[in-house]
Amino acid sequence: MSALADKLRGLRRQAGVQAPAPATVRRPEPMPDNLRALLGVRRRTDRAPVRASEPTPLPGQTIAPGLQLSETRCAWPPSPGRFHAGFARIDADIEPERLLLFDTETTGLAGGTGTRAFMIGVADWHKGQFRERQLLISTLAGEAAMLDCFVSWLRPDTVLVSYNGKSYDAPLLKTRLRLHRRESPLDGLAHIDLLHPVRRRWRGVWENCRLATVERQLLRVVREDDLPGAEAPAAWLGFLRGGSAAALHRVARHNSQDLRSLGGILAHFTQACD
Amino acid sequence: MNALPNPFAQRAVRGDGALAAPVAGGDQLARRLARRYADRITGSFVQPGREGRYAPLPGDMPATLVQALRSRGIEQLYDHQAQAWNATAAGKHVVIATPTASGKSLCYTLPVISAAIRQRAKALFLFPTKALAQDQVAELLELNQAGELGVKAFTFDGDTPGDARQAIRLHGDIVVSNPDMLHQAILPHHTKWAQFFENLRYVVIDEVHTYRGVFGSHVANVLRRLQRVCAFYGVTPQFILCSATIGNPAEHASALIEQAVTAITDSGAPVGEKHVLLWNPPVVNPDLGLRASARSQSNRIARTAIRAGLKTLVFAQSRLMVEVLTKYLKDVFDNDPRKPPRIRAYRGGYLPTERRAAEREMRAGQVDGIVSTSALELGVDIGALDVVVLNGYPGSVAATWQRFGRAGRRQQASLGVLVASSDPLDQYLVRHPEFFQGAPPEHARIAPDQPLILLDHIRCAAFELPFRLGELFGMQDATPWLQVLAEEGVLHQEGERFEWIADSYPANAVSLRSVADGNFVVVDRTNGRQTIIAEVDYSAAALTLYEGAIHMVQSTPYQVEKLDWEGRKAYVTRTQADYYTDAIDYTKLKVLEAFDGSPAGAGSTHHGEVHVARRVAGYKKIRYYTHENIGYGPVNLPDLELHTTAVWWQLPQRALDQAFDHRQQALDGFLAAAHALHIVATVAVMAEARDLQKAVGSGDGAWFATPDANGRAQLRTSLGETDAVTQGPFVPTLYLYDAFPGGVGLSAPLYERREDLVRLARELVLRCDCRAGCPACVGPVLAADEHGDAPLKSLATRVLDLIVAL
Repeated sequence: MSALADKLRGLRRQAGVQAPAPATVRRPEPMPDNLRALLGVRRRTDRAPVRASEPTPLPGQTIAPGLQLSETRCAWPPSPGRFHAGFARIDADIEPERLLLFDTETTGLAGGTGTRAFMIGVADWHKGQFRERQLLISTLAGEAAMLDCFVSWLRPDTVLVSYNGKSYDAPLLKTRLRLHRRESPLDGLAHIDLLHPVRRRWRGVWENCRLATVERQLLRVVREDDLPGAEAPAAWLGFLRGGSAAALHRVARHNSQDLRSLGGILAHFTQACD
Repeated sequence: MNALPNPFAQRAVRGDGALAAPVAGGDQLARRLARRYADRITGSFVQPGREGRYAPLPGDMPATLVQALRSRGIEQLYDHQAQAWNATAAGKHVVIATPTASGKSLCYTLPVISAAIRQRAKALFLFPTKALAQDQVAELLELNQAGELGVKAFTFDGDTPGDARQAIRLHGDIVVSNPDMLHQAILPHHTKWAQFFENLRYVVIDEVHTYRGVFGSHVANVLRRLQRVCAFYGVTPQFILCSATIGNPAEHASALIEQAVTAITDSGAPVGEKHVLLWNPPVVNPDLGLRASARSQSNRIARTAIRAGLKTLVFAQSRLMVEVLTKYLKDVFDNDPRKPPRIRAYRGGYLPTERRAAEREMRAGQVDGIVSTSALELGVDIGALDVVVLNGYPGSVAATWQRFGRAGRRQQASLGVLVASSDPLDQYLVRHPEFFQGAPPEHARIAPDQPLILLDHIRCAAFELPFRLGELFGMQDATPWLQVLAEEGVLHQEGERFEWIADSYPANAVSLRSVADGNFVVVDRTNGRQTIIAEVDYSAAALTLYEGAIHMVQSTPYQVEKLDWEGRKAYVTRTQADYYTDAIDYTKLKVLEAFDGSPAGAGSTHHGEVHVARRVAGYKKIRYYTHENIGYGPVNLPDLELHTTAVWWQLPQRALDQAFDHRQQALDGFLAAAHALHIVATVAVMAEARDLQKAVGSGDGAWFATPDANGRAQLRTSLGETDAVTQGPFVPTLYLYDAFPGGVGLSAPLYERREDLVRLARELVLRCDCRAGCPACVGPVLAADEHGDAPLKSLATRVLDLIVAL
């Protein structure tokens, strides 16, 4: 495009750098298999797919510029009741109302200041039901509002529950809060990272301790039309660059399943304690 | 520092005649060597000693720190240390450029510790090597203990264990690290260091003379990123920089941090008299002009010095040479296993604990002779020495003085001996003592706006903090660069902001030691090894890593067995071959734009942008010493294309017609003159010989000239095999060009010194001892050519005479 870009491309070629593929080329949205099957029938009839041209709306409601919130409630997993958190090496009895389960979807795993969360999923037991709230940003400028909203859900006595959140999600959110010049309340909160009790219990028994493995082995959960976590960044980037929001619904379902599994694993440990 | 009589002087008395008798200092040894080996000493001079100039401990220093200094025996400061204290107290950025062992570290330790005691202010120290960082922390800890100051200093480098890192980030008052760690670990994780940055008051950068060329250009950009992150945390730290003696400390420091810097260059530390000898090994074969090896001479001088009871340090250019010289000296001095060893080797590749042990023994005076690589060059404290022997020229006047600076005691004269190897540069220097003696130390140069380096660091900076539209990076608007990165898909522009969006960690892909990342690695497969021993820039790969090439790594010859061009790897094995290889490259240059020009004698000189097309067509095998051409090999590699900057000289056809009988003569003269100019230019800009290249061709790119099998110029119009007769005016042009895409700033300083260069090249040729030409002046000449009527040497002189300033 620009003269500078041309010059730099030339110099890099001369320096032996293999040219990076321009990332702006948009690939067609992957479609769910069942839909593709249906469309396959239509294609044979040589008619343009009618629904494919309609833009998919973003998940949830817009609650601030660039910020979507979806909220759902369901019966499973059930509330664990008051429990002693010794299995997570916390010597305290915990009321289920204090629990806040959380899981983020991020732009990658590279770490450092350049990786951000584009979705924060949070769940708690509210009025006897499992309540999930998912925050999703549709613009980069929505990030500050997302962080503020997430922080507003934390109370001083909140107990965080996550899977590998102590090493991954919490530090990442702390970094983002810091970059937006906000205080991070995360450090002061109790945090049950279920990865550690799972590892203590099943390391060497299962092939690994990834969340998907625990789900299958412990909870017998079968994921349906799951978007692999590794494809989440591309789904969001594609949308950000003007692509469809369709894949973001699959990201949201993936995140939601993660949250329910967190609840299920927690329930397993709290029952084992009874 | 150590004024006690040398306890080992006694045992050096042996029956070796007068040379072995103990002497009081380097002056006596210098006189003795000068008497005995007058024919080998090509230059000898003395730097007078100087009394110390002192200043009282500043009154505004914290009492506990004063106490700590007193308990370590420091009752007053050197004058330059007091100056540094006053300048930092006045809020100025400071560079201290005083000789080795003048107490530079106190210049920054005092303000840093004071601020830590008074305001819990933090400081970041950057050293080029881990070893230096560890030394510095050891010193800080000693001072801290002496005064119970409660200041916490830690090293933070690749060896720092993960669980210690968090504590260092939170509790370190002084964090001692290196530019690579700052680039790859600290800045990309700056939020974890938030507390540290919010209280960061001082940034100390030692050994800034090592941050020049490509490395320096990268470091300047890392410092831009550091200052950008500091601004985010609302701090503007003060910089304290230290440098060995270079020609332009203030300018260089200011180029690195892009702010005005106060230079303190006048050392108040006392120094003893320093004797310097330039030593050329004796001619052992007058017919072939062969000289004895530098190694044999260094060994002899070191032996003599140690026998005379003087603490001696020998610098060798390679690890292998360290081991060889150590063995020679141990054979003489350590043949009784019941006694503690008197000779030690010191080089990279030893375990840190081994190195610490060696340093302790040296400081304690238990070692009489040390053989080291440049690992010891930078500030590692080993106590006082009497004699330094350099086995070969270290590549710059500044580095030579820095190594000589290792020897020196307050009340006793010291001696430095430079032993020349057969390398053309060494021979040039040792035969021109006045160049060495009178030469101002070289200027350190950087080119922080080199396009590829700049792009790499804007990429890293965007990962660390988003850019605003129109934001400056260094001195220029970053916007066009950000747009390039957005096109690439790593940044996303939303309104006024460019934000990092890719799933990658860009600092990991940026090496501070190369331009862009197309580098080749050299893999040693000797005896089943599979280890990387060197990296070679993409642009130099075709010239030095073709299959069959003899590739020197730290003066050790390896032969390239296989070149994996796509995989960017060259597989080599150690070789004992008695020849070296020289690529036959066809290089065609074309001037794209002249930035500036001026008359040069009967011709003109310019600098500007050029296009270079280069093909390596094959290589020659050349026997060592005799320089006979003993064979050829084919090379089949892709052509290289390069946009870069160059300096060039041209002569009009009229001037050529008067000076030369025919075009062939003129071209021969140009090629020979290019050889000589390349040698002096490499010295002048502190460049590696391969970073600066030479070529002869037509200014419009219509033809170029390369030496044929007989060393005579051959005219070609294309990189292919066919030659053609040229049309149009005959304007031969001599180019010196920067070998990196986009250039790294070598050609501008060459243009500034254009008149000096021609004059020096002319002297080099005129005063060379050879008859018709040799590698040390105009390039190798075949024996058959030596008696021709127009030897290359005289043709080169004719060209240089025409372009020398009138």
